[in-house]
Amino acid sequence: MAIIPTTAPEGVSRPLGIARPRLTTALALGGGIAVWIALLGPVITLFAHLSAHGISAAWSTPDALTPLLVSLEAGAVTLGILVVCCTPLAWLLARNRLPFARLFEAGLLATLLLPPLVIGLLLVFMVGPSTPIGHLLSHLHLSATNTFAALVIAEVYESAPYYVLGAQSAFAGIDPNLEQQASLLGDRPYRVWKRVTLPLAAPGLAMSLAVAWARAMGAFGAVIIIAYHPTGLPLQIWTTFQETDLGVALSFAFLLLVVALPLPLAAYAWSTRASRRT
Amino acid sequence: MLHVELELERRDLKVNVAFTVQPGERMALFGPSGAGKTSILEMIAGLLAPKRGRVHLAGRELTRVGDGPPVTVPPWARRVALLRQNPGLFPHLTVRQNIAYTAAAVAAGEPALSLMAERLEIHDLLHARPRALSGGQAHRVALARLLLSGHDALLLDEPYTGLDARLRRILTDVLRDESRSRAIPSVLVAHELGEAQAFADRLAVMDRGLLLQMGSPAEVVRRPSTKRVAQLVGYLGFIPSSAVSEGGASGPRGSSIGVHPERVRTGDARPGEIGMTGTVTDVRPSGTSWEIEVRIGDGEDSARLRCLVPDDPPALGERTGVAVTSAPWFDASGNLLEASPIRVI
Repeated sequence: MAIIPTTAPEGVSRPLGIARPRLTTALALGGGIAVWIALLGPVITLFAHLSAHGISAAWSTPDALTPLLVSLEAGAVTLGILVVCCTPLAWLLARNRLPFARLFEAGLLATLLLPPLVIGLLLVFMVGPSTPIGHLLSHLHLSATNTFAALVIAEVYESAPYYVLGAQSAFAGIDPNLEQQASLLGDRPYRVWKRVTLPLAAPGLAMSLAVAWARAMGAFGAVIIIAYHPTGLPLQIWTTFQETDLGVALSFAFLLLVVALPLPLAAYAWSTRASRRT
Repeated sequence: MLHVELELERRDLKVNVAFTVQPGERMALFGPSGAGKTSILEMIAGLLAPKRGRVHLAGRELTRVGDGPPVTVPPWARRVALLRQNPGLFPHLTVRQNIAYTAAAVAAGEPALSLMAERLEIHDLLHARPRALSGGQAHRVALARLLLSGHDALLLDEPYTGLDARLRRILTDVLRDESRSRAIPSVLVAHELGEAQAFADRLAVMDRGLLLQMGSPAEVVRRPSTKRVAQLVGYLGFIPSSAVSEGGASGPRGSSIGVHPERVRTGDARPGEIGMTGTVTDVRPSGTSWEIEVRIGDGEDSARLRCLVPDDPPALGERTGVAVTSAPWFDASGNLLEASPIRVI
């Protein structure tokens, strides 16, 4: 992350080309802080409306923590699926190894562009009980609606484009000469991938994974359509709001923040440290 | 033994070469930029596919295109070490980890690594990250990594770039020792004659994708087979035979002699030299001596020579004698005349 120097420390000369950035720095800094506060506004409001009573009311009911566990489990499975299935896709896209690469990218962008609610509706048409896939699944005593699998499917749809596009740019940033060099030194493609490509892309992959995790944990639009049960945290917030009251609903939102935030924060911190090292 | 026959056609370049390098032999491919030297190394290493050709190394067939079933061994299985102009150090590893990247380097052990690092004067950098290195240091680290990788052939693309004279000598010594002790063929690419000569037992002069002449460095420089080779190895002046009338020299119609600036001096010719007279057209200081330009002959047949004068340069416009030592003689179509037709004074 680039930090614009406001003042040079004593005895350290200003780098050439940065000529007295007083006004621009002030503007950038002011704008940045304004945006940050604006974005943070809802979170601040959340804290303002939290009450000890609401929290204890929400968390003391039996099974109060079940939605949290459901969300965490579905999020973890989603991340696993993204890492295993989408990482190779991102690499192929970055290295232009796919025919009609633009078509793949257009597909990802389409998923990103459609409102999650629409994705949920379309998923019903695709894997719902009355579709061929639904029939097939029911023969296997499985279902892709209102099950844990359905929750994971919805979360994958909502988070995969973020991960693939981020991972693609992480791979694209690697000098292909380095991979070629490793291969000249005797490494087979798999070893090149393991020893050079992956370590160099890791900071970028971690960042994308953090974003994907945040999307998956907050997934709501597609989830409410095809995975009303088992109830994850976002849905729990919605039903509590409808059935009980806003205060109790917000305390679940607080729980979501507290539980889901450390992982992406850690990923960001590690990623920044790792990319500074190279 | 490395045997190479390669043809390549690209928009701007047609390459067609064939050569063999014996185990322990060091060959230099010398020629101007864009002659196709790097492409040849890349084809041997398997990074570039030839249009037609074969590459054999140590009894193994690495490439065969256009004659029988095609063979293309992938780069990682060729056991060919290629030092590219871009050192390609892995930024996420330390210098030591970079050098010990290959299984062969790990097997060679700590003492071998330390010794190599010391010889190449990078032992103080072993814990540094590649981004902290200068261009010359990165190049030496890449070379250490390559030399410890235990391959069957050594290909070096401009290895002397960014090194001062002392490090060039060290590098030459290390490369000689390595190719001799392990008895592997090595090929060096250079666009500077001095680098090619310092390294090689055999010099191959290339221009526009073709090998023009191959021989010992001394032979190629003293007896360039064509005028073009002579130009490439540093002959700057070509004097038409009609202008070399003084001293009784004469040759076939249209023939000329090649003059190397280091093999010409002012003054009268001594026995064994070719003498001529000309007019001084330029005088300027060059290092501790003077460089002068002398016009030989008049009109269409005139040519200009450059030579170094240690002291007391002649004045502009003065007539001066010029003596040339062992100059090659070319016929009208630019080929070397085997027997010098010149009558030496």
